[in-house]
This record gives sequence, structure tokens and C-alpha cells, in this order.
Amino acid sequence: MAEQKKLSVQEILALARKQKAEAAGEAAPASEPAAAAPEAAPPVAEAPAPVAAEAAPPAETPPKPAAPKPAGGKMSVAEMLAAARAQGAAKPAGAAAAAAPVPKPEAPAAPKPKPAAAEKNEAAPKVGGPKDTASILAAARKGAKPGPITKAEAAAKEKADPTTDEKPARVAPPMPVKPAAAMPKAAKGAPAEDRRGFLTVMFGSMLGLGYSALALAGGLWTLGLARFMYPNILTEPPSQFKVGFPSDFAPGKVEEKFKAQFGVWIVNTEYNGHLEIAAIRTVCTHLGCTPNWLEAEQKFKCPCHGSGFYKDGINFEGPAPRPLERYAITLADDGQLQVDKSKLFFEEMGQWSDPQSFYSV
Amino acid sequence: MHGSHADFLARIQLGLGFFYLLLAAMNWVAALLLWRDGPKPYFKLGGITVTNVFAWLIVGGLFLIVAPFAMMGSPPEFSESVKHVINELSGPVTLTVGSLVAMAFLFVFRGWWTKPPIAWLLLNFSLLAMGLAVTDANFFEIVGKPDNVPIVGLVYLLGFFTWLATYKAVINDDRMAQGLPPIEKTEDEKVLVWPDLVYTEMICMVAMTALMLVWALALQAPLEEPASSVKTPNPSKAPWYFLGLQEMLVYYDPWYAGVVLPSIVVFGLMAIPFLDFNKAGNGYYTISQRKFSYIVFQIGFFELWIVLIILGTFLRGPNWNFFGPFEYWDAHKVLAQNNVDLSQYFWGGMLGQGMPKAPAGSGPGMEFLYILWRESPGIILTLAYLVLLPPILAATVFRGFFAKMGLIRFMIMSNLLLLMISLPLKMVLRWTVNLKYIISIPEYFLNF
Repeated sequence: MAEQKKLSVQEILALARKQKAEAAGEAAPASEPAAAAPEAAPPVAEAPAPVAAEAAPPAETPPKPAAPKPAGGKMSVAEMLAAARAQGAAKPAGAAAAAAPVPKPEAPAAPKPKPAAAEKNEAAPKVGGPKDTASILAAARKGAKPGPITKAEAAAKEKADPTTDEKPARVAPPMPVKPAAAMPKAAKGAPAEDRRGFLTVMFGSMLGLGYSALALAGGLWTLGLARFMYPNILTEPPSQFKVGFPSDFAPGKVEEKFKAQFGVWIVNTEYNGHLEIAAIRTVCTHLGCTPNWLEAEQKFKCPCHGSGFYKDGINFEGPAPRPLERYAITLADDGQLQVDKSKLFFEEMGQWSDPQSFYSV
Repeated sequence: MHGSHADFLARIQLGLGFFYLLLAAMNWVAALLLWRDGPKPYFKLGGITVTNVFAWLIVGGLFLIVAPFAMMGSPPEFSESVKHVINELSGPVTLTVGSLVAMAFLFVFRGWWTKPPIAWLLLNFSLLAMGLAVTDANFFEIVGKPDNVPIVGLVYLLGFFTWLATYKAVINDDRMAQGLPPIEKTEDEKVLVWPDLVYTEMICMVAMTALMLVWALALQAPLEEPASSVKTPNPSKAPWYFLGLQEMLVYYDPWYAGVVLPSIVVFGLMAIPFLDFNKAGNGYYTISQRKFSYIVFQIGFFELWIVLIILGTFLRGPNWNFFGPFEYWDAHKVLAQNNVDLSQYFWGGMLGQGMPKAPAGSGPGMEFLYILWRESPGIILTLAYLVLLPPILAATVFRGFFAKMGLIRFMIMSNLLLLMISLPLKMVLRWTVNLKYIISIPEYFLNF
């Protein structure tokens, strides 16, 4: 009935196993369950297919798969291990499968796999048998038999094959004489070849040419993108600007009118015992907030963390670690004071003694 | 500004009246629930046994009497002298030290204040104090800001959860002292995701949505004027959850308080599972089995985070000055805060000489040596704090810890603890002796 419909993978496997079991099935202990296998295998495979399950009487299926499974069906891990052990036991004795010990005669399922597997070991070489990487590699190297070979074949060839790992065979061969091409002198000619090789790779073929063009285009796009990040027009005020004549700044006054546009206070005050006009940057040296000038308290006070600065910019309260910074201030040709925001002067570095950092009154 | 005080009271009278009504209702609902469970006697007053139901009925009745007065614009208020005392007490030093003392009190007497009647009484007191305090225009302006209302709610929420956890821990500790398993062990009944958890989540979702709706309708969005690079709002406050960080920045250099210390906090929190050798307390509330962890957490979380958030939200005013809760936020408040570096204290104050300064024209190497020499007191002090203290602790207070943790784990733990404690230490030093930096090397942007 199974042949009438399309065979499932399970069914194909079951059929293959059945044939194998029949081929190897002449040994006495395994013959009975092996014969039972053909009947048992289809029901197992049909279990997922409801149509086939209808056709096959389900009443007899449950008991059967359990018993023949070891011989014809898949082997469990335990059974495989048992088989391996039996194989190991059988080899030294040189005996056939029938000689395999039967530890528990009262349990019929247990002894069966052993003989079956042991026979397989003998019968297998013709059918296919286990293949390991070493044997395949060895065969490939020899070129004798393309494709997989069995363990037994590999074992037979191993003795003659020097490439397999037999310890006594490992004798260091004599070093071959270097050919003239491999001599160090010859290396000098190599770069020229390499360079030509590079050109060939880049432009020699249509594919290379295409990729090169792609890389070039990508690079140009990246450069263009980098250019795009910089605006065409800067609306920032110029870094150099005139703030008025020195006489515009009364002694002791903080001029705040440049704060909004330029971020500068022009202060006319005493620093280190001498009167000077300085351009103070309106950025707190703690975390960069904009402090406020408190006329009543005569101090700059930052609203973020409470840093306080004297009129000359020296820090005295709060967390600011450094005095406010000064911009360069010089007298322009027309007699006005000119502030240059590109130059900064730090008091803690002793830069406020620089003649550019103040205008002496 | 606000005009007269009576105008202000008229402005808030409706809300305040409903607030007192809410307090009355709250107590009566509690009384109702207690009555359903069967009244229990609390105490005896002149031969009459006062039951719990009766007590909370009376408290609710008192609030009900206050409510109409509040609604008519004459609510009970704090007197000026009380406000003055509260203003004085909420100075930074008293606030920090006081909150530490309060935490110690709550820890030692946790068996007492977690009792439901006491906790309920404390809640009533705090809400009553809030009702009395909002009659002050300055207090109302700070607490009633749309930004700050949720923070007040969070403070109460935090109080509730602290009570809940402590309450459960106290019960478990009592049980385990009697040899019983923790209460969570006896409540190991299987709870299903559907419907138990999903229903709970759905109810929470509905309640949360309702709350958000009310919030969105009742409170204005805290929008400010358009941003300007030259005008910083005064005071400029971080989001509430970062106010602890902003407060840290007041005492330390930006790189330290803004980068190094937060990283240490994060890595320290990650290190906790590897430093913790106490296996007790898995899956149940307990305090007595994990005293050390509990105290460290309370100091780190409450003292160094929550108290700083409260301080930053309610007590920091214009120019980042301190203001008492009933104080007017005067942008021209004058505070003497002439901060001095430790090196200035040492060379100028103690030795009476000028600061060591490299002679003019010397190379950068020479200047560097002079800077090191100038800051040597601070450097030595800091190194002693971080290098000498751990072995001393290992030999004295934390002897058992050292034996259990081994050298490396103990050193990491003790250094994390010392760095944590250095924050309040520095704060108190700033407030008391105006210390600015222990190590101050502005030449290399390095201050500590």
C-alpha cells in the first residue's frame, strides 16, 4: 500500500533499512525480528499520514514497532553504544556476530541490536559503511579512488600510504635545493610585477573598471557630503569688531551692550593695581553658561551653579575653577578700540600681562 | 507680584478647601475599612476605650471643620516665627546633617514608625503641614509650579514605598527572629499570568491614563521664553532627575562631577553583585540580615540623590543661592561665599606666606614642579584619604569584611565607599569653611 502513494522520507529510510536488514539477515538471532521489520516499518512511517493509517489496521501496529525497531528501524544511542562495544569485543576474538555475548536473555530487545550491528560491520564495506575525514582525505591525495571510501578500505591502504599519520613513517625529508627563481635576488623584480598586477586588477577587466569607477564616485560623494556640512554663508558676526573710543568707557563701568551680539563685556577696571580696559568673554569657566552682571553687587554671577566673579573677571565664589577669559583688545588706526575674538587670554596662565589682552588707560 | 496676602488666599481658597475635604475623606475611608475588619481598641482615654475606627473618624472630622474656613479664605497658617525657624533649619548644613539624623532615627526605630497607625498619623501630619505651608505665597510659588507639582507627588510616593518595604522587612525580621520563614515563603501560591497579572496591568493602565489626563488638563506645560545664547534663565535648573548631578557640579570641577563621578557611580552599581558576599535576603524583604547593604543604599540613594533633588528643586533659587521654603526668591540676595582653595588656606593662612610660584621665565617642567609643590597639601590629603584609609578600615571597622572579601574586592569596595562619602564631605566643607578645591590646578584644568 505504501508503494501506491508518494513515499515520504521516513518511508524511504524504512525501505532502505529493510533491504539492508534482508541483505545481512542470515545470522540466526537477528533473522526473526529482521523478517518482522518489513511489516513493522510501514506503520511507523505512516503514523503521520491519516489516509494510510486508515488503510493499515491500527490495532496491530502498536506492539510491533517496539520489538523490531532495533533490527530494522533506527537505533537508539544506547543501542549504538552497545553495538560499538560488541564490535570492540568481537574484533580481538576474530569471531563472527553470532559469538557476541548475550547479557540478558529474558529481555529480547536488548541482545538483538548487537548481532545486527556486528554483522553490519562485516557487511557494511560493500554497502557503504562509515566514512571518516581521514580516509576521504587519504583517498583524495592518492587519487586512487575519487569519492568516499570505507574505513576498511582506508585501513587497507593506510599501510602503503605515507601521508596518513603513522608515527614511524615520519622521517624528515632532505631539504630540496632552492630553484633559481626562489633565490632572494629574484625578489627584486617582483614589485614591478606587483604594480602592474595592481593596475591590471583595477583597470584590466570590465569588472575591475566598474568597481574602480564605483569607488571613485563614492569617494567624490563623500567629499561632497563633507563640503555640504559647512554652510556657504556664515551669519556670525565678524571675529574682529570695533567697540568705540576708549573715552566711551567710564572707569569702573561694565559695558553690557555687546553681550547679546558678540558675547563680550567691555570692562574698565583695575587689575593688579593698574587701570585698564579689557574685553571679557561672557562664558562661565565652570560649564559654559552665560553669567549675569549684577550692578548692585558689583559681580558677575552664573545662574547655573552659582559661580561668582569680580568685576575684573577673577573667580571668587562657586565652583568656577578659573577666572573669566579675555579677548584681545587693541587700538585701531582710527583711535577706536578693536576686539579680536580669535585670541583668548587666560589669567591662570599669566597671559593677562600680554599687552594685547588689555588697553591701558 | 501677588498683591496682598488676602488676595493670594482668595486665589487658592477653593483648592485648599477641597484639599482639607480630601483629607477628611481619606481618614473616613480608612475608618470604614477598619470598621469592616472589626474595630480594635487603640488606647484608653479617661476610662473610655478609643477604637481605631473612632480615632480616625475624629481626625477626619477635624479636617472637615477646617475645610470651610479654608474655603472662605481664612485657613490655618504657620506663624511667621515658625516659618522663620523652618527657613533656618532648611539651610544646607542642617538639611544634610538633619536628613542623616532622620535616616538614622528611621533605621533604629523602624519597628515603631512602620506600624500602620503611626505611619498613617505621620502621613496626616505631613499633609496637614503641606496645607498649612501653601498659605505662604513664596512656598506656593515653588511647590505649585507645574514643573514641581509632580516632584511633590514623587516625594510622597517615595515615602509610601519606603514605608511599605520597611514594614514588610520588619515583619519578616520578627518572624525570622522567632525561627519562622519569611512571609514570602508562606505566600508561594501560584499566580497565573492570565487573568491575574493581565487584569492588574489593565487596571493600572486605565488608572494611569486617567491620571495623565487630569495632569495634562490641570497643569500648564512648563514652557519658557524662547532660547537665547546670551541669556541663561535664572536659576537654570536641570530636569528634576538630574538635579542631584547639578548639585554635585556646584562642589566639583565639571570633568570630575560631570564625567568621572557619574562613571564611578555606574561602574560601582555594576560592581555590587561581585562585591556582595551576603547571600541572605534573596526574594524577601529584610533589613536585619542585610544591614550593611541597607545602610549603604539608604545613604547613597536617599542622602546623595533624593535629598539633593529636593534641595535643588525647592531650595535653590536665583543665582543658585539657597533659599528657605518660605523665603522670597530675591535675585539680589547677598551671600558671603568667598571660596578659598586648600592650598590658599595652607600657604596663606597657616604658613603666612605667598603661594609658591615658579620664577618668571622658567620652563614648563619647572612650572609643573612648582604647581605640584603648591598643591602638595591637597595631593597628600587626597592620597592619604584614598590609599591610607582602606587598610586602616580593613584593620579596624571592616575586619570581618576584609577576611571575607579578600584584598582586591575589599579595596574596590572601600574606595567606592570613600568616593561616595567624599561628596557630602566636600559639600559640608564648602558650606562651613568655604573650601573651594582640595587640589586646584587650573593651569591643567585639573581640580578636585
